Amino acid sequence: MAKSKEELLEALSVCVVEMEEEEVVDVANEFIAEGYPAFDGIMDGLVDGMNKASDLYDEEEYFVTDVLLCSDAMYAGLDVLKPHLPVDAGGQNKPKVVIGVVEGDTHDIGKNLVKIMLDTAGFEMYDLGRDVPLDNFIDKAIEVDASLICMSTLMTTTMEGMKIVIEKLIEKGIRDRFKIMVGGSPISKKYTDEIGADGYSINAVEAVKVAKDLVAFE
Amino acid sequence: MLTEKQRLEKIFRQEHVDRPPCICPGGMMNMITMELMQECGVTWPDAHLDAEQMAKLAMAAYERDCFENIGVPFCMTVEAEELGAEITLGTNVFEPHVVKYAIESVVDWEKLKPIDVHAGRAKVVLDAIEIIKKRNKTVPIIGNLAGPVSVASSVMEPVHFYKELRKRNEIAHQYMTFITDQILAFAEAQIKAGVDVIAISDPSGTGEILGPKFFDEFVVKYMNILLDGIKKHNVRTIVHICGQMKSVYKELSKIRSDALSFDSIVSIADAKKNLPGRVIMGNVSTYALEFAQPEKIASLTKYCVKNGANIISPACGLGTRSPLKNVRAILDELKHLEGEGGL
Repeated sequence: MAKSKEELLEALSVCVVEMEEEEVVDVANEFIAEGYPAFDGIMDGLVDGMNKASDLYDEEEYFVTDVLLCSDAMYAGLDVLKPHLPVDAGGQNKPKVVIGVVEGDTHDIGKNLVKIMLDTAGFEMYDLGRDVPLDNFIDKAIEVDASLICMSTLMTTTMEGMKIVIEKLIEKGIRDRFKIMVGGSPISKKYTDEIGADGYSINAVEAVKVAKDLVAFE
Repeated sequence: MLTEKQRLEKIFRQEHVDRPPCICPGGMMNMITMELMQECGVTWPDAHLDAEQMAKLAMAAYERDCFENIGVPFCMTVEAEELGAEITLGTNVFEPHVVKYAIESVVDWEKLKPIDVHAGRAKVVLDAIEIIKKRNKTVPIIGNLAGPVSVASSVMEPVHFYKELRKRNEIAHQYMTFITDQILAFAEAQIKAGVDVIAISDPSGTGEILGPKFFDEFVVKYMNILLDGIKKHNVRTIVHICGQMKSVYKELSKIRSDALSFDSIVSIADAKKNLPGRVIMGNVSTYALEFAQPEKIASLTKYCVKNGANIISPACGLGTRSPLKNVRAILDELKHLEGEGGL
């Protein structure tokens, strides 16, 4: 007997929470074969599962390794569902975010986690990767007309880079075009204020809230 | 009057001392600043490649009253580079770091060549230790290693590595066994060259990333294999783990090092309570060391002592722009407290 839409949505969500990277593909295919809208499968299935994984992370039931595997399952499901989205579904109003680890540092686990969480929350992500030359943040933000620039570092030696990006934006007279969010273990709220960034978050879950506040996006 | 070496040894033996020692091991726990490089005329990145310069810069941190030890190297990429990862040596501000990995997946571990400790930068480190050993009898020499999880996740992409701990668990263990053997070979060569203490930093193996189960399965297990190998040679050990410890205190207590070191997010009072009987090292904020005033550093130092830290150290690697007057303020304050008899 064919499964109901609700059962399939639940199965998609559970696949993400339980890191079932292969099973999620089968369920997503079944969802499409039954003629249900891909958009619902993404939002009420995959994203719902990722939000549950993020809650578990917040409650310290899940850790970074778990969330990475949950996101693999989510993206595997997305690969199936996305081609079935109507051409004009969403997208236009998505705030654009440029994200990267500043020059001199290659620690990108935290950045990747923030990227996944923001992606799940509906932001359009432009990931510059790690050890990113400072000018690239600015160039990319201008190019895509980003709402938000996110910078991360895990090293005290490289945190100065964030300040330099902000100074360069001021020099160019375009500081106000972007909101700036920073994070990473040596970064504090105090440092954020000192360098004139707009937001700081202690972890990836918090980052979503801060980002939504900064760009007034729900 | 105790020598620096005697004071640190007494701390490891948990005997009474006049005051806690002021230590910054080196390696990931960087003790080199730009001001120090200027003062002694040796700079990064050159000092990463030349034993004489490495020794001179390392000794400068002691000679200029910053810390009561001498430590090499100044980065945590030596092991990964010798295992085939491509690194950049960085600049006078940035530390060396990995830019290209040697393998894609744990399944490729057998393609890795064992570390040759008598070649490349491993040899530079060993030669530097011998030079320091010849010129110093009373100051503890600390050899630094990157921990097993950190080396493993520097030789391959960390995101893949973390996922494969679960997905390819058995092979991940084979890979970790190989990596641990390589680090131990480097440790044994450092011991032969003359170090008194081995400090192991494993910033990629945190409780926050791995959770208690994997922390136990991968950090504790391989760290202890490494520590047991080192301890056979009667050398002291310090292990530094980054990040919040709340979820992993139970697992952490199984790590068989002489001392445990934490970054500034961990409360020393909390660590002392959760790790009874252990020698705890920590944890003056490196943010404060770079941006605050010496008075603030003095009060942070006092706070660490009051909370029971047995060895006082920066909480993490120093930012190279940290002013020397701030760096020196830790040791100054410890000597001041001793003078006051307030310990």
